[in-house]
Amino acid sequence: MTPLTLFHLAALLLLGLGIVGIVSRRSLVGMLISVELMLNGAGLALVASARLTPAVDELGQLGALLVMGLAAAEATLVLAIILVVARRLGSSETARVSELKG
Amino acid sequence: MDFLAYPAYGLYLLLILAGGLGAVLAQSLVRALMGLILTLFGVAGMYLLMSAPFLAFMQILIYVGAVSVLIFFAIMLTRPSDGGEAGQEGSRGLGRIVLGVIAGLAPVAILAWAVVKKSPTDLPLKPEASLASLGQYLTGPYALAFELISVALLAAMAGAVLLGFERRRPR
Repeated sequence: MTPLTLFHLAALLLLGLGIVGIVSRRSLVGMLISVELMLNGAGLALVASARLTPAVDELGQLGALLVMGLAAAEATLVLAIILVVARRLGSSETARVSELKG
Repeated sequence: MDFLAYPAYGLYLLLILAGGLGAVLAQSLVRALMGLILTLFGVAGMYLLMSAPFLAFMQILIYVGAVSVLIFFAIMLTRPSDGGEAGQEGSRGLGRIVLGVIAGLAPVAILAWAVVKKSPTDLPLKPEASLASLGQYLTGPYALAFELISVALLAAMAGAVLLGFERRRPR
């Protein structure tokens, strides 16, 4: 296995763990943690592809940096949304924040 | 020194695996956050291993420094649902985790097949990209993305402040 494959497999591990988490978690905060895992996997795959192939190095690294910036923005916004949901509905568990009966 | 790269990779992979499992499976959300932080450090180590030190430090600065603190605030500011301890998630059966594994299996398997089968031949590691050239690319080809992400951050912050000022509504 080449180093590129190894790094990509590590990124896939992060993706898989994130998917398992986002499906199985019951609270919004836990789902946010899983999303961060997946975003980290995306960044790792980007940087590995940029560093270990003939692609332009700087573009990949800066792309990963932009992913980090978007993750920070997303975490800020999700924090605010979780707070509003918890204040309005009294809980941040996904099964409880449904207003419709049924 | 090449032979040291594989043990280092194994160590970082172990960090990622242990932290990721903790982040996904831990009952307590604070412990899940600690697992996430461990994973973030593992990914930073992998960036160092690829000789991208700038990204490694940015990873620690942005993720460990900022994002994890935000998530910690989210844990502390939401009330526990059914009178449990703060930051505890309600118990979920094994069934939900099995469902998650089933959901993740297909995309991960397809991507793993593509990664293993279609990987290009081995290349020597390129020389490290200097900080100056990174900055030049940020103001050159990525200038628009750079400006857009600052707008996105501003919008996210303004939205978060706006949501935070919302009055409590009687239900």
